[in-house]
Amino acid sequence: MAGVIDDYLAGLARDLAFDPELARRMVGEAQSHLREAAEADPEWPSADAERRAVERFGLAREIAAQCAVDAVDRQIRRSWVALLATVAMTFVAMRLRVIWLGEVGDTVSLIAPLIDRYTFIAALGVAAVGWSVFRYSLLPLAVAVAALVASIAAGICRAGLFLGAAAPLHVLLAAAVEIALVGLLAFHVVGLGRRLRRTALLRRAV
Amino acid sequence: MLKGHLDAIVLAALETGPAHGYAIIETIKSRSGATFDLPEGTVYPALHRLEQAGLLASSWTTTPSGRKRRVYSLTRRGAGTLAEQRKDWGRFSRAVDALLSGGRAWPA
Repeated sequence: MAGVIDDYLAGLARDLAFDPELARRMVGEAQSHLREAAEADPEWPSADAERRAVERFGLAREIAAQCAVDAVDRQIRRSWVALLATVAMTFVAMRLRVIWLGEVGDTVSLIAPLIDRYTFIAALGVAAVGWSVFRYSLLPLAVAVAALVASIAAGICRAGLFLGAAAPLHVLLAAAVEIALVGLLAFHVVGLGRRLRRTALLRRAV
Repeated sequence: MLKGHLDAIVLAALETGPAHGYAIIETIKSRSGATFDLPEGTVYPALHRLEQAGLLASSWTTTPSGRKRRVYSLTRRGAGTLAEQRKDWGRFSRAVDALLSGGRAWPA
């Protein structure tokens, strides 16, 4: 039969299941702490000694919620750095496309280059304001990523209209890197949104 | 109120040397005369946060009895942050003392 400490650790692992690495670390440290605290109890070995150690440790859900809040804050900060790198790469790729298409002659579309340019400027603006004012919020990050996706889609769409003209290798490479970066970032932001919702649920349950 | 100062309290508890979570909590309890009897588990998220910020370093060790423990130590940056927080706290507590002591001049 599992002891009081084992039950507690299982609950803590469940509450931290959204981050397996954090769960492993936290459960390992909690286990070491609880065993030591229980062994220091005058009534050790007994279920009461374990229960007292667990009570002093605090609610598993409260500790998991605090861990989750810290982890999400860290992730959001890292996402901003990734966003700024993606904005820089998108700018480089956009300039390369403009130089190339300028040589070919842009006769087909007027709308795509406008979308490409202005969604990029919007992404840059949202990123700058978001970074300086709402650094710990996901919403401006998501808006900036959406604007970047629109900018890249318009740029690729515009370039696609010139499929007849072979694009230079550096233009293709830059486009591939910007697509990969923004794809990873969008995937990450969606995951972060899910994690924020789980963190909010944990905090509400405390 | 204690939660707002938990990071500084944890840094101060590690000033005398590396320690594991259980020992850190025991240090906090004994040095505060058992005034700070916070739920023991709440110190771990603070330890992780301080480590992520580069103020603490940690590594797993094994005791002679075979128990694994993560031992934390103050980094140079952590020591600097503690010194700054100590100064801030000194200013803050002197100001609050002056206010609560009924209008005596500050600094006393």
